[in-house]
Amino acid sequence: MKKIHIFAGLLLIGAAVLLVLSSSDLGTYYTFSEAELLEEGRNVKVIGLLSKDKEMVYNPEIDPNRFSFFMTDEEGEERKVVLLSEKPQDFEMSEQLVLTGRFQDGEFVAREMLMKCPSKYQDEEVFVRSES
Amino acid sequence: MNEIQYIGETLWPGQLGHLFIIIGFIASILAVISYFFAEKNRTNKEGKPWLKTGNWAYGVHGISIIGLMGIVFYVMLNRMYEYAYAFNHVSDDLPFKYMFSAFWEGQEGSFMLWMFWHIVLGGVLIWKAGTWKAPVMAVLSLIQVFLNSMILGLYLPFGDGTSKIGINPIVLLRDVQDAPIFANAEYLELISGSGLNILLQNYWMTIHPPTTFLGFAACAIPFCYVVAALWRKDYKSWLKPGLKWGLFAGFTLGTGILMGSAWAYEALTFGGYWAWDPVENMSLVPWLIVIAGIHTNLIAKSTGHSIRATMVFYILSFCLLVYSTYLVRSGILEDTSVHAFTEMGLENQLVLFILFFLGLGFFMFFKRYNQIPTNQSEEDWNSREFWMFIGAMVIVIGSSLITFSTSLPVFNAIIQYFDPLYPSKVVEDPISHYNQHQLWVALLMTVLAAISVYMRYRGTNWKNYRQKFWIQTGTAAVLSVGLTYLALLWINAVAWQYILLLYASIFAFLVNMDYLIFRVKGNIKASSSAIAHIGFAMMIFGILASGINKSYISSNVFAQSGLLNGMDDEDLLSNIVLIKGEPMFMRGYIATYTGDHYDGITRTFDIDFVKIDEDAKPLNEFSLSPNVQYDKQFTKIEAANPDIRRRPLEDIFTRIARLPAQQIDLESARQVEDSLQFNTFFLDLGDTTFTSNHFLVLDEIHHRILHPDRDTTSEDDIALSLKMRVHSLDRDTIYTATPGISLRGAFLFRYPEQIDPLNMRIQLSDTLIEALFHSETQLEFNDYEAGRGEVFQYNDFDILFVDVNREPWHPNYEPKDGDIALSAILEVNDRISGERYRTEPVYLIRDGLLTNYKTMVPEAGLHFRFSKIDPNTEKMTFQVAVQPMQTRNLPVKIAENVPRSDFIVLEAIKFEGLNFFWLGGIIMLLGLLMAMIVRIRSKMN
Repeated sequence: MKKIHIFAGLLLIGAAVLLVLSSSDLGTYYTFSEAELLEEGRNVKVIGLLSKDKEMVYNPEIDPNRFSFFMTDEEGEERKVVLLSEKPQDFEMSEQLVLTGRFQDGEFVAREMLMKCPSKYQDEEVFVRSES
Repeated sequence: MNEIQYIGETLWPGQLGHLFIIIGFIASILAVISYFFAEKNRTNKEGKPWLKTGNWAYGVHGISIIGLMGIVFYVMLNRMYEYAYAFNHVSDDLPFKYMFSAFWEGQEGSFMLWMFWHIVLGGVLIWKAGTWKAPVMAVLSLIQVFLNSMILGLYLPFGDGTSKIGINPIVLLRDVQDAPIFANAEYLELISGSGLNILLQNYWMTIHPPTTFLGFAACAIPFCYVVAALWRKDYKSWLKPGLKWGLFAGFTLGTGILMGSAWAYEALTFGGYWAWDPVENMSLVPWLIVIAGIHTNLIAKSTGHSIRATMVFYILSFCLLVYSTYLVRSGILEDTSVHAFTEMGLENQLVLFILFFLGLGFFMFFKRYNQIPTNQSEEDWNSREFWMFIGAMVIVIGSSLITFSTSLPVFNAIIQYFDPLYPSKVVEDPISHYNQHQLWVALLMTVLAAISVYMRYRGTNWKNYRQKFWIQTGTAAVLSVGLTYLALLWINAVAWQYILLLYASIFAFLVNMDYLIFRVKGNIKASSSAIAHIGFAMMIFGILASGINKSYISSNVFAQSGLLNGMDDEDLLSNIVLIKGEPMFMRGYIATYTGDHYDGITRTFDIDFVKIDEDAKPLNEFSLSPNVQYDKQFTKIEAANPDIRRRPLEDIFTRIARLPAQQIDLESARQVEDSLQFNTFFLDLGDTTFTSNHFLVLDEIHHRILHPDRDTTSEDDIALSLKMRVHSLDRDTIYTATPGISLRGAFLFRYPEQIDPLNMRIQLSDTLIEALFHSETQLEFNDYEAGRGEVFQYNDFDILFVDVNREPWHPNYEPKDGDIALSAILEVNDRISGERYRTEPVYLIRDGLLTNYKTMVPEAGLHFRFSKIDPNTEKMTFQVAVQPMQTRNLPVKIAENVPRSDFIVLEAIKFEGLNFFWLGGIIMLLGLLMAMIVRIRSKMN
């Protein structure tokens, strides 16, 4: 066996070790009730839909890093969410939210949020424009 | 259903475009066949005509696709909204400079752009590829068949329904969208294009996609050479052109990626240049593998080792590139990526595209596996090829780790296809996840980029330069310790892993610098690799510096502490509120939002920064001007553009994170308006009025609008402003307010005044206009006769009839042909106050009827009419009336607890050493470019 093959093999083993070590970074999407039971300090991802009928509060004069709203997760549970950031542009239009964060004092505190907005090429565009 | 005869549509571009698509597709198939037989008959004379046919077919294909692009561009340029692509991507007001951006905004456009570069590079191959022309072009044409199928737009009956093959870029809007408006034959009159997303109206969008797609196209060429070599069973002579194209691909794709991260940093609001986003990852991986391929290709060319590895890497890089296209375009990443992409029903076609070429490449590879020559001698540990190969392995392993984690959504989808209950796996914290393993990859890459430069292929003469090697490497290693120590004074690296990587980057930089300056001495070919490695080392250094030292300066820990219960991580809190004119302490800076101004739809904010030291002494001052862009109708904010202060070692990045609700969009503004509670107060001139929290004194009444927002485009008929002083009950400050109201024709304009520090809004009541000015009927006019230059007296006023104006102007008068219209220029002199006023009442005979238009001098309370002309005496008759001004019981509406409107929510980030990253990236790419140019020229000589 060539030396280079031994080296390459070692590298592959190293990669495998890294992969196994980092597999602890992999998780699943949680629901609110699952996330609430987790140990403190662990961030998880929760998918859900914005509860558009519930109040959304963003008062930058009081705190520019606190935006609260309600989200309904995939099991239909609705909880209050606090996003530690500004209220994003076009938030009301979002269709799906992916939050990263954890429960604190009964609220889901999100550090990060990914929102999916409807495509701008929707059929209704034609209706809207045809009225004017 | 009856066929509707649509009006105003231009149908020939669609028909011609469709013809081009079909011809292009057939020609690409023909090119594949011809080149295939040209290669089959390479050794006999039948091969030549096949090759010629192939070139012709490829040419026809190229002309068709370029013609199609021209037509799509023509349709967009002429705003032919009957075509879906024009409707979706341009609008009437889209400037020409963004026309190209709009062209490749959509999937169809980007496929055409991709094909365009394949056509151009195919042309170069036909011209230059020599004996490799036929097989390489056969493979490239085959790729074009697949790409052309993506824009075919064919519907085939399949099972119960139809299945779609490709999306036609020149399809009519009414053919792809089903909307009631298409029942109207004149629908074209009613629609207008939706335009280009404002985030993409940026010069980066004009240059980044073409560069990236050139890189994409370039990656295909080494792949074509590999397949051609396996097919022809000529495993060595392709290595030379393969290397040139590999370097070209590395240079162009690398440039595209670097441009993308520059765009993300300076125009998009991601707050950085790299975030391990899936879309970013999957553009990086093919490039990394091409780089690995270049290294093994060099080994293979010099020593005969690693031919197989080179082949595998080139096959993989192209297939991963197509895979990244699939990930980006299929919508499968929508839960994990910030880049929004919509699916367009091409997923299956893209999967077929990947599997076909992956299958083709590896089928050929394994079929020929045993024939591929290998160098039986073993690579010595003291040879360059040994460490270069290890380096290439490291790159590929690093890429595999990235690909694995990024592909989780794909694995989830596949497993869920068989087991719908399988819970989706996801990387919980992507940035730390990727950093964790990529740190080791980067460390190995950096170290290998250092030690391999002094080595020689096959370890030739190792004995003679062994001592030199150890001395040079050792010196660099020791020097690096000192430099790392110095760097650590600046970069606050806490973890030992970071310190190690920092050390490695400095070491690699030194070694390669030494090599460049003292060893190669002007040999360009040898210096290109050192330059590329120097750039790489600088990039790693820059990534560490900017990543570790990135800090949000827009946080005032003191002011914000206690607001969030249980929050310990104050770094998370990235935003700060700046109130207009009030300096705010941030980390190491004092920021003041001084004002803002509009330029079209762009609203720019001026923020002054003062850098302070620990004793709050000012060090230096600078200003930044981030802006927001509203949409065309000013109904909402569409985008926020950062402003960056760039200095050699430090960048300050600022972005408007949020504005007061009333300034974000009409809906929020209306909500705020509706929530206000106004109370009406009756003010007397000179007297004090108390509201619940404040009190105010009415000082002056003016008959014009004093408000700065006054619309100056035309004159007001009647205007009124009240000037008042507003006192806060609990503060000492006094504010001046001048709310106003005006009539212009039939329209009432309100100029409310908002006093933000008092959360107060003052607005004049609409009834004030009536209250102040009696209706016409209540006025008592007196008649006066006067000639030109004569003065008559009315109460305390001397009124001089100056002259007649034959081109009269009056807000209520619209000139018409046949009018006899005059106005009299009157000068009014108040004998008591000494004030002078001018006014021009209008006299009009229209269609034999006499009429006149009244004017007034509000300051004096006088009304004038020009009622009669005596043609014999040339005397004019004027009517004058006076009306006493009301100074008591003036109704004013006041709301308190009004949300402030004079603040911004700012995000400010400090990056340090980011220029090492950009400069390093550019130097690395220059190294690649030099290496390519040297090799292209060496062939010519």
